[in-house]
Amino acid sequence: MTSRTTRRWAIAGALAACLGLAAPLPAAAQQAGDTLSRIMREGVLKVGVRADYRPWGFRNPAGEFVGMEIEMAKDVAATLGVRPEFVPVVAANRMQFLAQGQIDLMIATMSDTAERRRVVGIVHPNYYSSGFNVLLPKQVTTTDWNALRGRQLCAIQGAWYNRPATERYGVEILAFTGIAEVETALRQRRCVGWLYDDNLIAVMLASGQWSDFHMPLPSQSDTPWGLAVRLDDLDKPWGRFMSGMVAHWHRSGKLLAWEKEAGIAESAFLRRMHEALKDHIQ
Amino acid sequence: MTRAPDGKAAGFALLLVVAGSAWAQAAAPAADGALTALIRWAPLIGQGFVLNVLISVIAMAVGTLLGLFLGLGQVAPSRWVARPAVAATQFFRNAPWLVLLFYCIFILPFRITLFGTTVDVPNWLRATAGLTLPVMANVSEIVRGAVQSVPSGQWEGAASLALSRRKTLWLVILPQCLKRMLPPWMNLYAILLMSTPLASIVGVEEALTMTRNALGAERRSELLIPFYGALLVAFFCACWPIALATRRLEAYAARERTG
Amino acid sequence: MDLIESLFRGLNESAGINLTILYDPFDRARFWAGFLMTVYLAATSVVASVMLGVLGAAAQKSPVAPLRWLTDGYVAFFRNTPPLVQMYFFFFGLGSITPTVPDDLGFPTPLIGNVAWAIVALALFAGAFNVEIFRSGIEAVPQGTAEAATALGLSRLQSYRLVVLPLAFRICLPALNNNLVNLVKTTTLAYAIGVPEMLYVSNQIWSDALNVPEMMTTLLILYIGLVTLLVWAMHRWERAMRLPGFGER
Repeated sequence: MTSRTTRRWAIAGALAACLGLAAPLPAAAQQAGDTLSRIMREGVLKVGVRADYRPWGFRNPAGEFVGMEIEMAKDVAATLGVRPEFVPVVAANRMQFLAQGQIDLMIATMSDTAERRRVVGIVHPNYYSSGFNVLLPKQVTTTDWNALRGRQLCAIQGAWYNRPATERYGVEILAFTGIAEVETALRQRRCVGWLYDDNLIAVMLASGQWSDFHMPLPSQSDTPWGLAVRLDDLDKPWGRFMSGMVAHWHRSGKLLAWEKEAGIAESAFLRRMHEALKDHIQ
Repeated sequence: MTRAPDGKAAGFALLLVVAGSAWAQAAAPAADGALTALIRWAPLIGQGFVLNVLISVIAMAVGTLLGLFLGLGQVAPSRWVARPAVAATQFFRNAPWLVLLFYCIFILPFRITLFGTTVDVPNWLRATAGLTLPVMANVSEIVRGAVQSVPSGQWEGAASLALSRRKTLWLVILPQCLKRMLPPWMNLYAILLMSTPLASIVGVEEALTMTRNALGAERRSELLIPFYGALLVAFFCACWPIALATRRLEAYAARERTG
Repeated sequence: MDLIESLFRGLNESAGINLTILYDPFDRARFWAGFLMTVYLAATSVVASVMLGVLGAAAQKSPVAPLRWLTDGYVAFFRNTPPLVQMYFFFFGLGSITPTVPDDLGFPTPLIGNVAWAIVALALFAGAFNVEIFRSGIEAVPQGTAEAATALGLSRLQSYRLVVLPLAFRICLPALNNNLVNLVKTTTLAYAIGVPEMLYVSNQIWSDALNVPEMMTTLLILYIGLVTLLVWAMHRWERAMRLPGFGER
């Protein structure tokens, strides 16, 4: 944890103490020492994943976590020879969970932005990439974002693109906590379209369940995704190890395979990374 | 003074939900009926409901214990005890439960090291702490109200028996308060149980979260009314008996006072 | 304004206390709008729930049996189910079968928006408690008082309007006070159905600026302030309406 975040939590903690909440500081500071060897010693890898972000991370009816990011986490655990333990996170709490040490690794559809790099250690290379776009009914055929000015779009709470879409194109955001809620609101026509990840929109359109919808606008702000470790782990064995894992996934084509398995259309980013890193000796 | 509520009311309420669900079921063109889907997901949602109950029981137990002391603090003769106790009670009674919940989830540590052993504090336990705070403040008010409602003659009588203040409180006053505190205390428990779904907003996997996950996996909007309706019925079945028992007790206490 | 902006921008850079709502115009605008939305939600649902409470208490005294059952059912159901789940049930469940109107693109859009549903859900929830509060207030007025009023030549309705109700209202003010405070706190639940109230905008802000502790503290202070304001107003009102010979002091 940086001194900056530590200080902010310290201030909040002091305030909480004044309010009568007994608030010991987040215990991350006590966890100095090497995270990688602790994980090996404890035999458990705690990974923060999404439970509501099909097809990257979600639950099946048996309650098990499944999805592309779950496969990645399982592969990390298998490489280390430890047991993976999945902790469901949402956009609004995933960085706190990591910073506080509740999880040691976060693979949770997080875009890699400058603000976030100040709070958590985002591992490079990036493992995925996406921009934002709008799922619109077929009757709406505009290809110009400015045509949406003043219109209501549904979205997920905490998504990073809610603000740029509002600022740049003047759309109005109606945001919900989960995907089920957004889908319902869209079907009930509480909004014109759904401001969302362009990859996810492609997945939905390919599924055939959204045959009355399409994606006529150009995608915006293509931003890579990063998995994350705590900031002070980034240049320690744990962060370096995860860097190696991601590079290996790109090189071996595993990410492309998992993406295909999850039913997502092949993304240009993964193809490009694979081409750049693949073995030159055939 | 209290009219015993008839079972008709409960029956009517249930009927409303069942009719709504049946309507949704009939309107659903899907191959797989809403009831089948509900049965398929019931174990998982039920598991979540167990967590709701667990959270409420722990928060109630701890909150009651803390609230008892805070409430006695409110009626303490020393200003230095009473004022902070009153302030704390008012603060936690007036802050929204959801905001306190967010606060505890983000601020409490996720693991504690005690005498060299490290214990993980799961998310739901921290949410429980968040719900304990308002419970504590409400119990504190219940205790204060009950202690102050005991006729002053009791205090004087105890004093004339040369009982210390502490002995008077524990041996004379509190036993008399118990009967008076029970109905509002039970009412508070019902309110607490009904507040546990708030934990879903901070990511605890209780019944509402599970319902939302199930709906997210099914992706069928015709399931919304039956699923949320069933959850309402489940909570109703848990809270209605408590409400009934509370009323009986109140009526009994009222009869005893007047008769 | 510039001074405040540079002051808090500086506070962020030097002390790491990041109150974007005080220096970032975008965040300031949406937080202010969120605050106003919370006040609006609270005010409308308070008024609506009190009206519901009065109507419900009257219906419980009605000679028409089905009306009494309906009221009892309403009270029992809304008092014994979680308000958050009610909110979901209303907005997503019932919202799917309410009438629609075509918008300018020709799409049928729901007539009742999320803000309206939030007010409906909040008012129904608090209203159920108000019915009970008013009923017990009316029952607490001694039978003899009403009889005395009738003996003075007032009709049943007159004695109700002029004697029983004013007394009952004063008796139940403390309980009503409590419930309305609760209602103001419950407005935070509108967050779940996308109503841009204070908690919702704060969540959006702390997702963007990653300043959870600061926003959380701001929220707590503002809610306590709002509730304190309501309690103060209700106490003043209570004192202004106090009758000699009733209550202590």
